[in-house]
Amino acid sequence: MPDWVDPVAHYMLHEGLKNTLRIAVFALIGSTVIGILVGTLMTIRFRPLQALLRLYVEVWRGLPIIVTIFLVYYALPTTPYIHHRFGAFAGAAIGLSLWGSAQVAEATRGAVQSIPHEQHEAAAALGFGWLGRHVSVILPQAMRRLLPPLVSLLANVIQNTTIASLIGVTELLATGQRSIERLQFEAGADSHAFAIYGAVMVAFFCISFPVTRLAIFLERRLV
Amino acid sequence: MKRITVTAVALLLAAVVFTALGAAAPGGNVARMAAPLAKPKKPVKPKLPALPSAVKSRKHWEIGVKCDYPPFGFINVRGQNSGYDVAVARRFASLAFGSNKKVNFTCVTTPSRIPTLMSSRVDIIVSTLTWTQARSEQIDFSIPYYSATGRLLVPNSSSVTVPTLGSKTVVTTRGALYAAWTRNCFKNTKLLEVDSPALAVGAVKDGRADTFMFDDAFLLNVATQDPDVKLTREKFLNVPWGIGIRKGDAAMARWVNAALRYLKKKDEFAKILRANAPARYVPDFIDNVPRPKNSFAYPVGKDVTSICP
Amino acid sequence: MTLLASFDWQFIWDHLPDFWQGLKATLKVAAIGIAGSLVIGIVLGAARAHKLPVVSPLAAVYVEVFRNTPILVQIFFIAGALPHLPGHPIRLDPFTIGWLSVMVWGGAYNTENFRAAFEAVPYRYREAGLALGFSRLATFFNVTLPIGARIALPSSINTYVSVLKNTSLLTAIGFAELTNTAYSLESESFKPTEVYVTLGAIYLVVVWTLSALMRVVEWRLSIPESR
Repeated sequence: MPDWVDPVAHYMLHEGLKNTLRIAVFALIGSTVIGILVGTLMTIRFRPLQALLRLYVEVWRGLPIIVTIFLVYYALPTTPYIHHRFGAFAGAAIGLSLWGSAQVAEATRGAVQSIPHEQHEAAAALGFGWLGRHVSVILPQAMRRLLPPLVSLLANVIQNTTIASLIGVTELLATGQRSIERLQFEAGADSHAFAIYGAVMVAFFCISFPVTRLAIFLERRLV
Repeated sequence: MKRITVTAVALLLAAVVFTALGAAAPGGNVARMAAPLAKPKKPVKPKLPALPSAVKSRKHWEIGVKCDYPPFGFINVRGQNSGYDVAVARRFASLAFGSNKKVNFTCVTTPSRIPTLMSSRVDIIVSTLTWTQARSEQIDFSIPYYSATGRLLVPNSSSVTVPTLGSKTVVTTRGALYAAWTRNCFKNTKLLEVDSPALAVGAVKDGRADTFMFDDAFLLNVATQDPDVKLTREKFLNVPWGIGIRKGDAAMARWVNAALRYLKKKDEFAKILRANAPARYVPDFIDNVPRPKNSFAYPVGKDVTSICP
Repeated sequence: MTLLASFDWQFIWDHLPDFWQGLKATLKVAAIGIAGSLVIGIVLGAARAHKLPVVSPLAAVYVEVFRNTPILVQIFFIAGALPHLPGHPIRLDPFTIGWLSVMVWGGAYNTENFRAAFEAVPYRYREAGLALGFSRLATFFNVTLPIGARIALPSSINTYVSVLKNTSLLTAIGFAELTNTAYSLESESFKPTEVYVTLGAIYLVVVWTLSALMRVVEWRLSIPESR
């Protein structure tokens, strides 16, 4: 193995991959929590609420993720409402969560609405209120149908963490690029760009492919 | 069905555990505390004004630096922040807290450094920040800590020079003063703006641009390492760099300027240059750093980007 | 609403021409990318659905690679790694990198859309075509393609809208599309709220309009039974 590989691999794995996965986990948790909440609320037959939530979903699904992240990271802190200063990592995690929550909300809405009406009626007949009905009867059933899209979202979120490199987060892609720049500076002509970018592609493939396969498998078995 | 739920829950738990096992510092701050560059100093504590309270109570600095601009701010082979600017930042940590490890670095780029400073994510930015009239209206500048000149990087076979920039494509980093200067003075020239100097070099080498207009310190190294490119003779836009401070933060400005004056008096900048630039360049650039006998001034009142050749 | 009160509308008004230039570039790249994805999707989707030898497995690899890697990495690979390809460096200008990368990415997703759609065309229709004397190729053009393309409409519309949204990532290689224009504007004027809210508004208008237009196309073309 040539000399240059070791420090580059070490930096990319220990700093880059670590940050990629950390952003992904935070974004996934944020998306799931907010998304399930919004999606469930969207099934309430109250026009103004539905309109508002529909707007939320269409905005965060319609904007390119990079624009969302720019809004959160650059524009939001200059408004008088936000006093706590958050770094690039948080900015990227919040931006990805907004996008992800819109996806999850849509999927949740579909999953909840696909539960047969008899379930609602039976639960109501047994004395469950709206909240109890949803928490104890509807959502557990909807979760089954929600799992494949959630797993598929995980793969997408992991891939989209690369966008965070554009606001300065040192995730996998950024660490690769910094290494290329350093090698270019030291060695002049040969920065091993092909090998390093190739390695980043392979790394993401190895993470994303099994997750996507899992999503397809779950889709077949659960739905 | 049970197996699937168990597998899915196990995967989720594994992901959470993995995250928890990751080191503490959030991404974006390369918080590598081991600093190979500074020698252990027994500082004769200089008489500096009071450290700003935010920094004092935090007991370390939060400083924005470049991570893609050798030899001023870049990531070295060990994955640590390194370079002239980084060394200056570490001197500040030594002067304030007695240890050059008491500083957290945040990577910034030319377009993101001022927003990052203005939103208080960092205390100051030491990030190859050239003084311009427009920038000085948004933030305050410390006294100069380096002075750079603009140069053109071209492929060896090229005959492009400043007078012939007319219909060519110039690449530079987004928001750099070279971008404004090109827009003002060379109306027919196409301007390509990228986010990092390395991307710009790539653009010239790959034929996406005819020339890279940038600071001499960065370009000279590129031209020397890379046999396929060269610098043209012209030098332009000689403007000093300063440390970016939030507007009105008088306590910070007082401290930073006092620290810079101290470093200048002790000829520390020359030491930092020698430690960070390859030996063969030091003679070329030793006059660009503040030394006891020289002085730099910002071209206040003049908008250098409108002064056309 | 103090936020709206302090919004510098004049600034936006003054810079609308810049936004328009950026938008034009975005739409140009997106148009080529969408057209390309459509063609790739149909051709490779058909190859996959009919399990053509050589082409089908290669297409499968292409699809899996480009769907499981981030598009930003693909863009940087085309822009920064291809010029260093050992032996045969490939150097492209930003515009070409732009439409090529979104086309290749969109084509991978679209291939999957069309494959599923062609396979979903009920076999009895294809059988009928063959029984009527059509060759396999003619059956494809006269039966499978018209029906399959309509089945594929919803998912491929999603892909086309995503292609449009992903052109925003071309800002990373310096291509002067809409997001790049906004980013540069902000780094010189220091008015992030005005710039990025306007940027967002423009994207929403474009994306929603495109989606709506495509839904109309889908409605017009949809198979009568499914209406």
